[in-house]
Amino acid sequence: MDGAERLFNEIVKDYSERVYWHVRRWVNNHEDADDLVQEIFLKIWTALPSFRGEAQLFTWIWRIATNETLNWLRREKVRAALRFSSIDTEMERRIDDDPFFDGDAADRALSKAVAKLPEKQRQVFVLRYYDEMPYEQMSEILGTSTGALKASYHIAQEKVRAALGHDLFSGTD
Amino acid sequence: MSKRNDISTPAGYFEDLQQRLEGIPARKQVSPSGIMVRLTPYVAIAASFLVAVMIGNAILRQTAVPAEDDPWTYVSYLADALDPDGAALVDMAAWEEEEEGLYPEDIVNFLLADGISVEHLNYLSYEEGY
Repeated sequence: MDGAERLFNEIVKDYSERVYWHVRRWVNNHEDADDLVQEIFLKIWTALPSFRGEAQLFTWIWRIATNETLNWLRREKVRAALRFSSIDTEMERRIDDDPFFDGDAADRALSKAVAKLPEKQRQVFVLRYYDEMPYEQMSEILGTSTGALKASYHIAQEKVRAALGHDLFSGTD
Repeated sequence: MSKRNDISTPAGYFEDLQQRLEGIPARKQVSPSGIMVRLTPYVAIAASFLVAVMIGNAILRQTAVPAEDDPWTYVSYLADALDPDGAALVDMAAWEEEEEGLYPEDIVNFLLADGISVEHLNYLSYEEGY
C-alpha cells in the first residue's frame, strides 16, 4: 500500500460517516446517498495527487463533497423536468418513501421545508443546523464571508419557521 | 425534535461502506467505453430532439417569476446582526445570485452523466445552433 492509498484510507475512516450524513440530508434517500458518497470518494481519490496541503484536508474534502452534491442536485432537476415534475415534488416524495426515515410528522415537515429552500440557503442550513459547522469553516468551504453566511442562515431559518408555523431555533444564531 | 435521530441506515452499513470505499484505489482505472463513439445517427437524432425539448423546458422555467424574499426580513437581520455597513447583505446577495433554475450546462452535464459522448454533444449543438 503506497502513501496515497494509506492517506485515502485514513480519509475514508475519518470522514465517510460524516460525509454520508451530510449527503443524506440533501438527497433524502439512503440508496442515493450511498451512491453519491461513493462518487464523492472516487473524486477524492482521483484528486488526491493534486491536494497540495494549502487548504486544510477537511476543507478540501468538504469542497469536493459540496460540489458533487450540487452536481447531483442539478442532474436531478433535469431528471424531474423530463418527467414534467419539479425537484420540490421529487424531494417530498423521497422523504415520504424513505424506509430509513424514523422521525415523526414534525421531523418530516422540517425535512420538507429544508428541501424547498433555495440551493445556497439550503447549503448553509444543512451545514449549520444539521452538521453544526462553525461559520468560519463554512466560509472556507463555500468561499464567501461569514457575514453573508449568517444572513443566509437567518433567511433560511425564517423560511423554515414560516413553513412549520412554529419556532425551532430559539437559542441558535 | 432531534437533528439526526430522524434518519437511519441499515444495520452494519458504515462498516460495509468503509470496506467498499477502501476498495476504490484498486478499481479506479476504468477505461471509457467506445460504444458511444460508434452510436448510430438515429440515436443522435433522438438525442437532438431531447436536447431541444429540455432547453425549451429550461427557458420556460427560467421565465417563471420567483417569489421574493420579504425585505423586512433583511432589515430586521441588519439590526440584529450588528452589521452597520451592510457588508453581510451585499456579500449574501452576490453569493446567492447564481441560483436555481435549469441551465443549458446542467442539461449537458446530465447527458454526459448518462453516457452521451462529448463528440455527439458538439454535433448536436452545431445542429441546433446553440
